[in-house]
Amino acid sequence: MLLIIFQILLVLTTCVFFVSKRHMSNLVLLIQLGLAGITGYWSIDVLTHGTVFERELLINFWGSPLEIKVDSLSAFFILVLNFTLLTGSIYSKGYLKPYINEKNHAEFGLHYFSLAWLHISMLLVCMLRDGLAFLVVWEMMSVFSFLLVIFESEKKETVKAGINFLLQMHIGFVFIMAGFIYAYVQTGAAFSFDGLSVYFEEHHPLPLFLLFFVGFGIKAGFIPFHTWLPHAHPAAPSHISGIMSGVIIKMGIYGILRVLTYIHTDLLIIGIFILVVSVVTGLLGVMYAIVQHDLKKLLAYSSIENIGIIGIGIGIGLIGVAKDLPILAVLGFAGGILHVLNHSLFKSLLFYSAGSVYMRTHTRHLEHLGGLIKKMPKTAFLFLLGALAICGLPPFNGFISEFLIYSGLFKGLQTPSLQTNFIILGTAIGLTLIGGLALFCFTKVFSIVFLGTPRSGAPEKAKEVDGSMILPKILAGIMIVAIGVYPVFFVKMVGNVVGLYVRDISLIMQDTSYMSKISCSSLVFILLIAILWLIRRAQQKRVHIEHGPTWGCAYSGANPAVHQYTATSFANNYSELAPPIVKTGKYFESLKEEEIFPRPRSFKTKTGDMIEENMVEKPIRKIIKWMEKAAIFQTGNLQHYIMYAFMFMGLIFWLTIFNII
Amino acid sequence: MAFTLIILLELTLLYLAFTERVKRFIFILMVQGLLLFGIAYLHLKQVNTLEFTFIVTETILIKGLLVPIFLNRLRKKNNLERLAHSKLPSFVSILAISAAIAFGFLLSEKIHDNDLQSKFFSASIAAIITGIYFVIIHRNIFTHVIGYLIIQNGVFLLSLAVGNEFPLIVNTAILLDIFVGVLVLGIFVNRVGERFEEMHIDELAQLKD
Amino acid sequence: MNVLGFVLAIISSLLIPGIITITKAKMSGKKGPGVFQPLFDIARLIRKGNVYSTTTSVIFQIGPIIYFASVVVALLFVPFGQYKGLLSFDADFVFFAYLLGIGKFMMIISAMDTGSGFEGMGANREALYSMLVEPIFFILMGSLALLTHYSSFYDLFVHIHYDSYLTYLIAALGVYLLLQIAMVENSRLPIDDPKTHLELTMIHEVMVLDNSGFDMGLINLATGLKFALYGGLIANFIFPVEWSLYAQIVVFIMVNLLFAVAVGLMESFRARNKLAKNPKWILMLSSISLIVFLCVIEITQKLL
Repeated sequence: MLLIIFQILLVLTTCVFFVSKRHMSNLVLLIQLGLAGITGYWSIDVLTHGTVFERELLINFWGSPLEIKVDSLSAFFILVLNFTLLTGSIYSKGYLKPYINEKNHAEFGLHYFSLAWLHISMLLVCMLRDGLAFLVVWEMMSVFSFLLVIFESEKKETVKAGINFLLQMHIGFVFIMAGFIYAYVQTGAAFSFDGLSVYFEEHHPLPLFLLFFVGFGIKAGFIPFHTWLPHAHPAAPSHISGIMSGVIIKMGIYGILRVLTYIHTDLLIIGIFILVVSVVTGLLGVMYAIVQHDLKKLLAYSSIENIGIIGIGIGIGLIGVAKDLPILAVLGFAGGILHVLNHSLFKSLLFYSAGSVYMRTHTRHLEHLGGLIKKMPKTAFLFLLGALAICGLPPFNGFISEFLIYSGLFKGLQTPSLQTNFIILGTAIGLTLIGGLALFCFTKVFSIVFLGTPRSGAPEKAKEVDGSMILPKILAGIMIVAIGVYPVFFVKMVGNVVGLYVRDISLIMQDTSYMSKISCSSLVFILLIAILWLIRRAQQKRVHIEHGPTWGCAYSGANPAVHQYTATSFANNYSELAPPIVKTGKYFESLKEEEIFPRPRSFKTKTGDMIEENMVEKPIRKIIKWMEKAAIFQTGNLQHYIMYAFMFMGLIFWLTIFNII
Repeated sequence: MAFTLIILLELTLLYLAFTERVKRFIFILMVQGLLLFGIAYLHLKQVNTLEFTFIVTETILIKGLLVPIFLNRLRKKNNLERLAHSKLPSFVSILAISAAIAFGFLLSEKIHDNDLQSKFFSASIAAIITGIYFVIIHRNIFTHVIGYLIIQNGVFLLSLAVGNEFPLIVNTAILLDIFVGVLVLGIFVNRVGERFEEMHIDELAQLKD
Repeated sequence: MNVLGFVLAIISSLLIPGIITITKAKMSGKKGPGVFQPLFDIARLIRKGNVYSTTTSVIFQIGPIIYFASVVVALLFVPFGQYKGLLSFDADFVFFAYLLGIGKFMMIISAMDTGSGFEGMGANREALYSMLVEPIFFILMGSLALLTHYSSFYDLFVHIHYDSYLTYLIAALGVYLLLQIAMVENSRLPIDDPKTHLELTMIHEVMVLDNSGFDMGLINLATGLKFALYGGLIANFIFPVEWSLYAQIVVFIMVNLLFAVAVGLMESFRARNKLAKNPKWILMLSSISLIVFLCVIEITQKLL
């Protein structure tokens, strides 16, 4: 029954084109609610009973019925993506309102149609196991997200970023396809995920795993495959950025986790590989995030960082499985997988808030913002909530997943192997540094965007966004606090997923006992803050309160906006520490000696991504140079072209004579 | 106990990366000489007068006293106070030397040979790498001498690590080598110091003709 | 009994700033104020009215409260001899460190809320140094976890046994590191000098330039509490749990006292670092903590 409704809903999506622009969002939201309800019902069922849900779709695919299969891993990801896509859909209604008059009916319809189908294709990605069908829906997911990204297609850079995104997704697609084909050719078993298990049992898993890792890693944004993220996120509309960062990149993680369920040998080397890549990803991601000036680009780099944290959890878990340290395995996997959920919550929240800021100020440039907490208090506080959570601070959800990884690390130190000890120590150092850098990054963003005095005219005219744009943020915020304050429930849920990798998950139940102590500590903390606030309020009523300008070392007459710290200056002492990685170019004209009365001049700083620069742009520039050399044949002279044709014919003739072709 | 001294020795290596004052460099050499005496003494199975005198002369007398005093006189004569590192950010040195120390540990665990005393081996690797690194990053010839002396300390530890038979002969040879080296460099530096204001090797490169 | 440790820590937190001031005064040949003078100052501040900048928002008012609350809750985790802290679970030091982190976060943004260039300087330095100092604490705790095979404050400290030269070395280095972490966390010498009068080089003092009244009182109280936090950890670190309760109490107070005197002495005889040298100095501390880790590896016989 549900299955039939599910399929009717798929067909219903075409109706999007037949309703007015104003109602499209409502229709899509309804369809999405239906989809989410059905799949959510299956998923919760799977997660609570620990069963596997299997059905055949009515559609025939390549002659055989299409089978959907929901195990605990799929169920977990389905729940995560349902939540983020629903909040994104609610948010889109308010966010796209200014565009209603600008865009025509078809463009608007295409956007909402793509949104609905993005949801559907992602659900199917999680549910399908047949190789070919998987590849088709994977491709559909990329194409629909491309269509969503290029919503503002009249802007040149948006289209450029969109095409960059699409191309990189296809490179990933080729790797995944190659992985499937290789396994199929080698074993002759089914062209599906189950076929992979046959391959991994018989062969050395590392090479094939690497193929899949590259393919899925491009989607997930592991460094050095991250170069699409910082371009696509700023270009896309904010609800799409939120969805993309919240769940689309998690599909890469899903792919990696899915492949890992079939691998049972050589886990140590795979684990160390993932761990090293992830630590590098986490560190570099946040290091680049700090120096960004574009709000959404910064958040994109921060997503890369969080993918690193998720990867650290997975890597640690694999090492635990390989070294037979169940505690390390369980806590590592649980932390990594829970962070998938956590990141989808706070990152979508942050992107929605960034979108609200952009909508009201029409700029994403940090140096033009400031003082928004007075104009948009709700957005500001929700952003602060997200920022605290993403730094992994208690009592919010980011802390819980990082805590799981940490406690796994410190308990895993009891292993007898020196090598593992060093790996664990290195990871712990990496994780603490990531935490500290994230704190640096988000104190910077929050204070530059929302605090102080406006740095340009743009924020002064801003006002709070509509309720429909606040609601999704509040929903995400509630989840953030819920996971942070009452982690037991969520850790148990994740425990079922961990069961796919580690046979004995009783340890996670042990863990829940001190999870409740964490909630107790968090509550003490919150209570103390509340009490202090009340005391303070009582005290404030009795005393004399004055208001005045900020202390400015007797220079209070100056423009306060000029006097305050900027984003660049906040990051300066950090970027001076890390010049080889974060290279900040300074562009200015120096003062000449003969210039007695200097002209007005400008100063500009620009921070590039060294990895993108060295691994993508430089090789491309070289290739283009070679290509240009080949262009000498293009003379523009008709006689030359006829001569080329003649020479080609002669070549064919001679080659045939000598039996070469 | 010996390991405690080794750890202290590694701490001096870290301090070497941290400080920029020439006075401290010389002080570190002195401390290392004394620590090496402790390590070698604890390493001895039975106290043999000849061997004991040799160790005392080598570590305390030469490494701990003679060479530092000599270097100190050179320092005073040439007015060397602070020696900034090269273009590398200074904290990279600390990272590099920490990495070298950790690497020494991992390497000795990997080699895992019965004839090899990994305690000494790990520290000696760290000292040798530190010495080489020190020579590479500094551009002043005086600090090169200090770098070589650190390397020599590492080699001394290495000779302790590989067995009990060799140290006497090997050490005598190395010691003489280094001692002569220091003397020659000392004279050289003295002469160069009279010619040039600073002892940058960039300027020495001009002497090649 | 668990409460006793908390109460003692609170008492010592109230006295530590006074003792530091007295030590510094005596060392520079001044008579110095009484031990309770900092307390009187705080009491005066708490009774006084506030001056708020018109640039500030609620963040500025709630920041100090969260900072203070985070330090108080962190103090609940510190064990006392053979008694657990009021809150204690596995890997509670992670919670401890991140709790202090949220306090710092709020202080940084509340400084930035004033829109002052000076406070921006302090805030971004605080952010940088607290990022650099975090690994030290984690490596130290990781080493203890490796040594004792446990992972909560209480178990870590209860199961340390001092029986060889190496363990003494670990104790010495550990105490040194905790002392220095306390100095960095409180922005004292050699990272920052609370006596200095130049806003351009300050860290903590410049962050609280605009705070006044109740908020300032809380911030000053939190400074004492932070000292007591690390004093308490050091006391637990060095002294064996087998001693009787009374001996523990005496030892705890003595260690906190000595800690305060040591801070006073250090501040009297030491020059502050050049600002640009601070990151290097903090990194040096992390390298020392790495050495502690290597010592532990040797003790646990992982290296033949």
